[in-house]
Amino acid sequence: MKKLFPYILMCMAAVLTTACHEVKEHADNPRGNFEALWAALDEHYCFFEEKGIDWNAVRAKYLPRVSDEMSDEELFIVCSDMLDELRDGHTNLSTPFATSYYRKWWSDYPQNYSARLVEQSYFNFNYRSTCGMDYGFLSENIGYIHYSSFSYTVGEGNLDNVLYYLRTAQALIFDVRDNGGGDMTNVETIVARFISRPTIVGYISHKTGPGHNDFSEPRPYTYNPAGQGRVRWGKPVVVLTNRSTFSAANNFVSVMKLLPGVTVVGATTGGGSGMPFSSELPNGWGVRFSACSVLDADGNTTEQGVDPSAGCAVDMDSQAALDGHDTIIDFAVDLIQSGSLAATFDR
Amino acid sequence: MKILKYLFPAILTAMAIFSAKAGDSISVIRPVMSAYTVEAGSSHLTDTYLTPLKYTGWHAALDYERYQAMRFDPERWVMRLHGNLGIDRAANPSRNATMWSLMLSADWGMMRKFRPVDNLTLAAGGSTGIDLGCLYNSRNGNNPASAKAAWTVNLTGYAAYKLRIGRLPVTLMYQPTLPVTGVFFSPDYGELYYEIYLGDHGGLVHGAWWGNYFSLDNRVTADLHLGATSLRVGYHGKVFSSKVNDITTNIFTHSFVIGVSCEWMSLNPRRPASRDARIINAIY
Repeated sequence: MKKLFPYILMCMAAVLTTACHEVKEHADNPRGNFEALWAALDEHYCFFEEKGIDWNAVRAKYLPRVSDEMSDEELFIVCSDMLDELRDGHTNLSTPFATSYYRKWWSDYPQNYSARLVEQSYFNFNYRSTCGMDYGFLSENIGYIHYSSFSYTVGEGNLDNVLYYLRTAQALIFDVRDNGGGDMTNVETIVARFISRPTIVGYISHKTGPGHNDFSEPRPYTYNPAGQGRVRWGKPVVVLTNRSTFSAANNFVSVMKLLPGVTVVGATTGGGSGMPFSSELPNGWGVRFSACSVLDADGNTTEQGVDPSAGCAVDMDSQAALDGHDTIIDFAVDLIQSGSLAATFDR
Repeated sequence: MKILKYLFPAILTAMAIFSAKAGDSISVIRPVMSAYTVEAGSSHLTDTYLTPLKYTGWHAALDYERYQAMRFDPERWVMRLHGNLGIDRAANPSRNATMWSLMLSADWGMMRKFRPVDNLTLAAGGSTGIDLGCLYNSRNGNNPASAKAAWTVNLTGYAAYKLRIGRLPVTLMYQPTLPVTGVFFSPDYGELYYEIYLGDHGGLVHGAWWGNYFSLDNRVTADLHLGATSLRVGYHGKVFSSKVNDITTNIFTHSFVIGVSCEWMSLNPRRPASRDARIINAIY
């Protein structure tokens, strides 16, 4: 036993010294924070290949702009410029004095929506509102819902009431223009009202390691129709979109577009199909970035947006808007009135 | 009716046997040593699923342990039941973000006792236990939490030493527990819990070994036998480190322990102890 004792001690020492896993640390100085930001994206960001971004070249481009003498404001500018290279509305750097945004995904496009125009010209400010949804009847007996954000939790009872109220309409316009996204579970809750059987609505692929090509096989995910007793919508549906339809709203459009009886009218959505993760830098700044790619039901990426249905790309005519016309709504109304739209499912 | 013909005698026979056993006296009494303690100290939390930064803060816990000599060989074997509910609150180096940890652990084990010298008892054996909990970082959006779940098989033991400080009897104990193997939960590197909610349950369970799952629980206590109930003071340190799917978790806690310990016996009036019954202390 005495002979074994040193060996036992050596084994225990080996276990203790090797068993605790180190986490790489960066210094809390401008260069350290820059490197920490670059590394967080390098290891977790999911669209390098898809967007053709050479992240090492980006580092080489911006690192010379970093010096240990620079202020926080100056470091923020350099880091924000570096993140803009990703052309990603889901990537932000948050500091106590500012949050970086890449705005070109919508700022370079016409807005194609005016809430005031719809509320005044189509409803004379007489519409109902609940859980982020404004809804009512257009004069052609068409139901209209504008859902402003998927951050508003939609209850099953809310949807029952909204859809039951609109039940006599010949069709439904579901407007998600200017909807910047929110909670994906609200997508599921709403889509469940427009399907009659379990439906594969998309695929998800996550990163399996820090390498740029370390991804899991895209895995289908399925939504089930709303349960017994819930109000479901089987008549034609037109979804209205603009470039500010982003993130969870972009996902909603990608799901709805592939359902029978659904037509997407308006402009290409803003994209944002990467589910964002959060991390932070040694100085306490937060960073958010796309980390998990969500594909549509055909297995295609929607990071760059979802196009309208064939022949349904419409911009809002600013001159017509002055006369009280939202040409995207008008296009959808004409489409419904033409009688060419199918039902979403047989009741 | 044929059944009743055989059933009644069978029941009567069973009752007779039971009565005879109930009439037997107990020759060995195995008192339970139990301790209830609270812990307060410091915590160091890192979970790269949530953040690459090390968070530091406080740790608090409630702890219960129970020792009793085993029925089959009470002189040499002892069992231990242990439970701990801990909560940590820690902040990042800039102190502008908070991480919470809530962990519940429970284990049961058996140990073989040795008496190498007077007043010193050593015990070594194995245990099995579960750990359930969660780390939560309030600043994160889609990755706010990192769930922890494990079932492990452990090496465990203790060293107990009896001494007197003046006229006060004191028991010093050191109790380490080292998981050797088992299984534990971890999502994939960049996997969302939303994907798990949607039904992606593959690859969530991993075999544990020291290379990917290391945990060492050390507890040093002194029981001051002031009376029938003893005051327990001591130190509890836990080192936990796991790395799987390129996700590293480090949880280190150090805490001061204070509480009470006592020995108690449960006597069955239907089976009284005999006058010469041996009382076998769980620890010594």
